[in-house]
Amino acid sequence: MADEDNRLKLTILGGFLGAGKSTWLRHQLFVGAYDAPHVIVNEVASHAVDDTLLAGARELDVLAGGCVCCDLRDEMIALLHRICNLRSRKQAAPQTRHLVFEMSGIADPGQVMTAIQDDPILARHIALEEIIVLVDALHGLEQLKAETLARAQIEAADRIVITKTDACNEASLAELTATLRQINPAQAFQAAVFGVEQALLDLPPATPAALPALDGDATLPPPTSLPLDLKQFGAGGDIWVGFSIWLSAMLHTHGDHLVRVKGVVRTPGGRLLLQSVRMVMQAPERIPTDHGGDRSSDDTIVLIGRGLDPERITHSLRRSIEMTSS
Amino acid sequence: MCSACGFPPAIGHWTDAGGDTAHDRLRIRFARVALLNDLLKPLGLGARDLGSQPGIQVFNAMGQTRICQTVEEVWAQVEAFTGKPFDPLEIA
Repeated sequence: MADEDNRLKLTILGGFLGAGKSTWLRHQLFVGAYDAPHVIVNEVASHAVDDTLLAGARELDVLAGGCVCCDLRDEMIALLHRICNLRSRKQAAPQTRHLVFEMSGIADPGQVMTAIQDDPILARHIALEEIIVLVDALHGLEQLKAETLARAQIEAADRIVITKTDACNEASLAELTATLRQINPAQAFQAAVFGVEQALLDLPPATPAALPALDGDATLPPPTSLPLDLKQFGAGGDIWVGFSIWLSAMLHTHGDHLVRVKGVVRTPGGRLLLQSVRMVMQAPERIPTDHGGDRSSDDTIVLIGRGLDPERITHSLRRSIEMTSS
Repeated sequence: MCSACGFPPAIGHWTDAGGDTAHDRLRIRFARVALLNDLLKPLGLGARDLGSQPGIQVFNAMGQTRICQTVEEVWAQVEAFTGKPFDPLEIA
């Protein structure tokens, strides 16, 4: 347990083909946004070009000729094992502290998380820090209308960066932002031009673009976000058993509809940061109690999903917690 | 230390993370199995946690018993016994 903080931080960088992932990453490496980074680039093309753009990385690996969520899955796992292996050896200095994974344009970040969580070794070595998804301000909306995959990428994001905002007018940017917010209500927005962060100015109000139904998700409504205040159910550690049993059953049975679960819960073992992508719950990260900062969001869990019924959810969770204390 | 991964023993399933001391962990396991029993009783199933060994045992009215390592496996086993997934939204 004590070693959880020792895990490699993983940042996943996703976004549709041509969204500007490499450009953005190059700038982030240039300004030193990541501590001792090891960059992994995944390319669909069999000949890698992007890696030449990324000279700022301390270490760089390229997985080319396929997409890591299907064709190159085994290669990706093998590479991650190798990195973790090297890291476990004391001699291997200087140490990698941050893993930055640039996905190919057609990869689903959620799939990669599943692959890492399913591997017993990697699950103990790698902790997901953030999924960043880049969206092209010019073509993003078209991609969202036409591609299920583009929507899946947005759903999995913790942070969305809209790129090439300089080449786009305010009205269409506002429409894009509103559409993105409809797909993933909880994430933070940023804008960037050539990787340099730009202020996302106050945009005129806009109605989200209607997203036509695509094959396979014909009946799916857009996800909504439901914050659950756990404090209403009881004090501190007493709710953990009722809550964790309830949530694990929710993920098992309704995982397809729960796009994300995120929040900090107080337990007898300390404050735990829980986050899931689709049906997979990350190994919880323990947040030090003396971490300071804002604690007001403790014991609040945000569920993002489709067709969430707040009343049934609150009622069944309350029952589950009551049953443990009676 | 685990010789395969070089880390101390399993961080386990996320539902196991709530306890810090051995005492807390054991207490959580017993509270958990008590809750599982309450939830599974209407389905004609039961759960048992021996405490001294890992795993939660799930059994049906015929006495068929399966050992589940994690809570996630418990839900899969409940589904296998009853033929449909356990729906937490139907907790009365």
